[in-house]
Amino acid sequence: MVTRLRKFNRSKGLKATAFLLAVVFITAIVLHVVYIYYRNYDLEPLFEEEYTKSKEFLNDELTPIIDEMHDYLATSIKPDKEFHYYYFFTDEVNTYNNISLDELQKLKYKYEVLIQPWLYKEFKTVQDKSKEYTLYLAFPDDYIQKRQAVWNDIRSELIPITVSFLQSVIAALICLGYLIVVAGRKAEDDKVHLSPYTDRIYSDIQAGGILFTLFIWFYICGNTLMDNNYQNSNLTADQTISMIAIGIITAIAASICVMFLLSLVRKLKAGKLIKHTLIFAILSGISNFVRSFFNDSRFEHYPLTKSLNRRQVIFTVSSGFMVFIFFISMFINPFFGIFAIFLEGLIIYWYFNENKKTFEEINLGFQESYKEMMKSEKMKVDLITNVSHDLKTPLTSIISYVELLSKEDLPETARDYVKILAEKSERLKNIVSDLFELAKSTSGNLPLNLENLDLKKLIEQTLADMEDDIKKTNLRIKTNLTENPVYIYSDGKKLYRVFQNIIGNALKYSLSGTRVFIDMETANNYVNVTVKNTASYDMDFTAEEILQRFNRGDKSRSTEGSGLGLSIAESFTQACGGTFKVEIDGDQFKVKMGFPISR
Amino acid sequence: METARILVVDDDKTIAGAIEKLLVMEGYEVIKAYNGMEALDALVSNDVQLIILDIMMPKLDGLSTMMKVRDGKNIPIILLSAKSEDSDKILGLSMGADDYVTKPFNPQELVARVKSQLRRYLHLGAKDSANGTSKIVVGGLCMDVEKAEFTVDGEPVKLTAKEFKILEFLMKNAGRVFSAEQIYEKVWQEPAYSVENTVMVHIRRIREKIEINPKEPKYLKVVWGIGYKIEKV
Repeated sequence: MVTRLRKFNRSKGLKATAFLLAVVFITAIVLHVVYIYYRNYDLEPLFEEEYTKSKEFLNDELTPIIDEMHDYLATSIKPDKEFHYYYFFTDEVNTYNNISLDELQKLKYKYEVLIQPWLYKEFKTVQDKSKEYTLYLAFPDDYIQKRQAVWNDIRSELIPITVSFLQSVIAALICLGYLIVVAGRKAEDDKVHLSPYTDRIYSDIQAGGILFTLFIWFYICGNTLMDNNYQNSNLTADQTISMIAIGIITAIAASICVMFLLSLVRKLKAGKLIKHTLIFAILSGISNFVRSFFNDSRFEHYPLTKSLNRRQVIFTVSSGFMVFIFFISMFINPFFGIFAIFLEGLIIYWYFNENKKTFEEINLGFQESYKEMMKSEKMKVDLITNVSHDLKTPLTSIISYVELLSKEDLPETARDYVKILAEKSERLKNIVSDLFELAKSTSGNLPLNLENLDLKKLIEQTLADMEDDIKKTNLRIKTNLTENPVYIYSDGKKLYRVFQNIIGNALKYSLSGTRVFIDMETANNYVNVTVKNTASYDMDFTAEEILQRFNRGDKSRSTEGSGLGLSIAESFTQACGGTFKVEIDGDQFKVKMGFPISR
Repeated sequence: METARILVVDDDKTIAGAIEKLLVMEGYEVIKAYNGMEALDALVSNDVQLIILDIMMPKLDGLSTMMKVRDGKNIPIILLSAKSEDSDKILGLSMGADDYVTKPFNPQELVARVKSQLRRYLHLGAKDSANGTSKIVVGGLCMDVEKAEFTVDGEPVKLTAKEFKILEFLMKNAGRVFSAEQIYEKVWQEPAYSVENTVMVHIRRIREKIEINPKEPKYLKVVWGIGYKIEKV
């Protein structure tokens, strides 16, 4: 359930819809504002239901009247106008009114204004300036009702606009919120996925892009925007067109901004917001570059090269500093320039002198390690030779005496035993000889006799050489060699051993009646030879295991051979500059070899 | 037939003893020595026709002993060694040995090599073998083209016409390597096409007839990936 919900929540369709809606609502918000601006709405009716309680009433209706009355009372010159309101004022001597106080008191919309004459120098009307007086004002009911009706009209227009404005704001926020929450998430998992397109742009460029887009948007809108109307009048045709234009521009700008914003959010989630900025990239590039100069961790275990490196850094930096000093001092005092040159000379002298010493030490070290290497190499060869000698000598005796024994007049059973001894000592001889060849080869002491030879011919020769062995089996060899000779630079005798071992193995371990495939092909200056056969037994080992020394398929444990055939083939091939790979695929046993073709 | 006297030199007494018995069985007279110095002493007081000489020995090693022997004597020397590398064999042969046998050896093969060396030394006299223009000689191989005769260490060997022609061609150009195609065209006088097998089969048969150990041929060699040759001895 949760997964399904997540799948829906993070589906691409929903994201795209939300994105579109966000853009639409943002555009709607802007258009609402522009519309209200064009219509030049007074927004007060929105908050104040009753006109008489509004600030507009106080400022535009009441205050002018009070001012008017003030002037009238102060100068006692009656304004030349028809009063749309009632007033009553008396200072106990004179009374100014267009209605009786009693009647005024009966009216609904009446106001009392406190007049403090001492505040005004030229307040002529009243006798006693130190006294406070009350000015009674009132509006006829129908006047206020008319005004209230207009007020209500505006209110009824404003409220739906405001509601839809607020709805747009909320909807836009929801869409953006949703987009921000799901940004970078995919339905399949809970990881943060960065977009391969927009997220490639550096964060700071994106942020700048947002600001730039907003600036452009603001500029264009400012130029497109027309003067506003008199209050509440309908839109002109030009204004309608400009609104459409602003809408389009806003939609475009909003798309760009939201896109970049979401990209920034994704990076923030992935924790790459800062790292993926152009500034960071440049700074880290510079810092890496500078650090690489001073970084000598590579020479950590080599004190001599480390000192060389350090000296080099010191030399470069101080020389640079001297050049700087030289140019600066040329402006001030040429003497210091000469001083800098002198110092530079000292630095160069120090640098070369010390380096020479270090180089000499390095040379000494080289010689030492070379000697050491030669010594250990010689010891290795000696070890192999000596052990080989020590094993071969008793074996020679065994073989010789077994031979002598076989010539004696022995009873039948003893004759059988001697036969077994002869067989086993022969096998031991093979194992010892294989073992030493392998030891020499893997220790890199195999003497090679390299020459240009035709690999195709070598395979043909090997097959012809092994023809008797092949005929003894029930197998057929299927060759697919190249048409032309393929020359490689290698040791023919060793490669003959390689192919002899591999083909010998194939003959030994193949299922009766199957075919052994020998394929040869050239590709990219390489010649590849593959020997494939179908095993006659369960190959319950891996390609790696079969190449381990002495490892053989269990079934073949008791038969002839040293068990080192494949290892020798591998080692010889590698010693001859080739590659060697064993693959096991079901019953298919494959040996793949590759050699560089010589020019 | 007079019995040849053979000096067996090996620091391992059991090996020397085994070789002695093997050779005595074949009717040879054997003297043993256990190092180079003893061997040189034995040579002074005895008339020896062949030496079997181990290389790795205390006091005086085989190669040094051989050089001292070669100062005055031209008798065949078979080197015996646990060192089986080609370079060791080449070194031994170039220093004057007539043959090189690696340990552990096949006793019968050793006996065969002894016989072969003695035949050459005693019956052919080594020197007169190069007589006559129609004779081609490479080591112990001797071919009389006119008489269509072929001997290995004096022992006649029967060859088929093709085998004879192949050997003749290779022996005339001893040391040079020829591809199967070249050999085929020369011997069969036909254009060669896929003849590797044909030539190889003949080579193998020839080897079985002329080599003591066909698996480690002394004369007729395969140069892998290139061709075939008779080793120049």
